[in-house]
Amino acid sequence: MPEPNFEQLQSDLLQAGIAARHVRRTVSELREHLDDLIDADISAGNPPNVARQNAVRRMGDLQEVALAMRACPELRSWSYRYPRIAVLVYPLTCLMLLPAIPVIAGVAHAPQVARWGACVLLGGIVTAAIFLFLQLSITLA
Amino acid sequence: MAQSNPPFMSGVPELLLLRLLDQGEMYGYELVRSIRNATGEAISLGEGVIYPVLHGLERNGALKSRRKPVGGRTRVYYSVTAKGRKRLDKLQTDWRRIQNGIASALEAPGYA
Repeated sequence: MPEPNFEQLQSDLLQAGIAARHVRRTVSELREHLDDLIDADISAGNPPNVARQNAVRRMGDLQEVALAMRACPELRSWSYRYPRIAVLVYPLTCLMLLPAIPVIAGVAHAPQVARWGACVLLGGIVTAAIFLFLQLSITLA
Repeated sequence: MAQSNPPFMSGVPELLLLRLLDQGEMYGYELVRSIRNATGEAISLGEGVIYPVLHGLERNGALKSRRKPVGGRTRVYYSVTAKGRKRLDKLQTDWRRIQNGIASALEAPGYA
């Protein structure tokens, strides 16, 4: 029996439209389950490598888990259960969020934005001072 | 992997899980072990397959779950809700009716 590939299972389930929270929890529970099986077998007196082999055999093929999850429509993410609503809601949400993106980015990078603002202000003052000096030079000459 | 009997297993894992969880909260590994012990190993579920059933029951409101750190691991403990108890009662009633029907059929002279 090959080693269980939890990353592959996670990817398969997400691609099948299973809600991410169910995928994360299932994978985490399966990992814990495998560890429990290994611990129990070691406690029964088997060496760790044999315990792991036995545990993997008892866990079985993860594709069966994937099939069982695919067979439960209630575990799918809402966008897979209601694709027509998702097609409407996602673009509308994006459009509504679009104006907020610069604000969010500004708040997230507040120190950089403040530094940039200070530099622009300083540049403006220096430029104004130069123009003022030139104007005064022309006027007074 | 433990042998299973798919044609006869429809609804059985759900019934067994609800029955066990009605006695107290448990996590996945504990449940598989309890099913094995309670059924005298007559019914062995594929160990990983228990989780989709648990998640499905939780999604339908028959179970609720909570995370609990135990011995450096975070277990997800499941327990039955009021809705789950009603579901369990219905499943038990259905199962007993089928069981009695099959027992009657097997004892009938035509089947002897």
